[in-house]
Amino acid sequence: MKKIFFFLIFLLFVNEITAQGCSDAGICSVNKGFVVDSLQLKNTLEFSSVYSLGEADLQYLSHYISYTKRFNERFAFSSKVTLSTADGSFGTRTQFGDAFLIGNYTFKEKNNKQWSALLGLKFPFTASNLKINGYSLPMDYQSSLGTIDVFLGTSLHYKRWDFNATFQIPIINLNKNSYFKEFGGTDDFPSTNLFERKPDALFRATYSIKSPTSKFIFKPNVLFIYHLGEDSFENIFGQRENIKGSDGLTINGNLITTYTFNKQNQIELFIAAPFVVRDVRPDGLTRSFVLGIQYQYFF
Amino acid sequence: MRNIFYVIPILFLIAACQEEGILTRDQEEVIVNPTAELKYYGTFVPTSGITVNGDAKIYLENNQYKVQLENFAVSGGPDLKVYLSKSASPNEFVNLGNLTSQTVYPIPASVIVSEYSHVLIHCQQYNHLFAIAPLTQN
Repeated sequence: MKKIFFFLIFLLFVNEITAQGCSDAGICSVNKGFVVDSLQLKNTLEFSSVYSLGEADLQYLSHYISYTKRFNERFAFSSKVTLSTADGSFGTRTQFGDAFLIGNYTFKEKNNKQWSALLGLKFPFTASNLKINGYSLPMDYQSSLGTIDVFLGTSLHYKRWDFNATFQIPIINLNKNSYFKEFGGTDDFPSTNLFERKPDALFRATYSIKSPTSKFIFKPNVLFIYHLGEDSFENIFGQRENIKGSDGLTINGNLITTYTFNKQNQIELFIAAPFVVRDVRPDGLTRSFVLGIQYQYFF
Repeated sequence: MRNIFYVIPILFLIAACQEEGILTRDQEEVIVNPTAELKYYGTFVPTSGITVNGDAKIYLENNQYKVQLENFAVSGGPDLKVYLSKSASPNEFVNLGNLTSQTVYPIPASVIVSEYSHVLIHCQQYNHLFAIAPLTQN
């Protein structure tokens, strides 16, 4: 197991970081609700701040606040609101991103195996058409994908392993982005006028390593995201065009370190980077390096 | 804990801002060369509930067609675009970009300008037509 751990660290730090990584579009973090806390308090508040690097000269600072209510041993409900700032050659743009409503059901443990199921929705706060000074911005600068998405997922907890599989399916497209490469003044971002996005399928494997005192938990994980089809946009002639190379696989490596102060307070640091990517990333999910901190308060 | 509930929304409100960058600064105003040839012209008329003034003129300058909006003013809209259209409605058109403080909008070289009969001001986000300028050949 040590070898896997060091291999992941190696990939995170040594591999050339040029690719699409996870963003807070939802699918990367939505499965966190599956984790069964050893702390049995009914309510959890989470605050998180994430610094990340994106395409070209883009930098992001994203935050979210989340509330989870555990109704009983089986059922929990989470809500989350995101806010993000993108900074690059187009300027700086800060805006609320999405609201998430997620329900988790945890089945009874059998033979060291515990299954969970997830159903969730994501609602955008914007139509993904934020502008600066009247100039349309690429999707990379938008705080939301501008879609109402449904999440369907399942999770298996087995000994020290957690396996998650989730689909993120856009059910209503509210995206009214109006960025054209032709008018953008740079070749860094593809045209995404009236962008339409295809669903994603996620698979994640996480291994948990506890320190002798259980104060620290290290959770290296590998995240596979397959984008199930080519996204499309409307060109300057009003005709819809598929964006070649926008489908396919992304693989991210992620290391989470959790420190538990006491029964009510916990802090988490995470670092992530991609090492396999799609050819084109018109949706702006282009994080090449992610560093985050999260505080959890249980009550 | 209660303080956090007050502080977080305030931080969010303060943070909801924008600042222009190199690519979104006001550009130097593009003008049509006085020697350019006027090929088409028309006067804008508004759609219901909209106020508009001014003309659309299409010039040919160094083999490049350009739409110029002259003495132009229109009611505000969230996502206004300049369209060169084959009819008075935005069905078959060329999107020439966002309506900005610029008055000149280059037409891509691949466009056969003679096939287009109108210049439109259209709000793409809410699919609402603001103004129509039927073109007449000069």
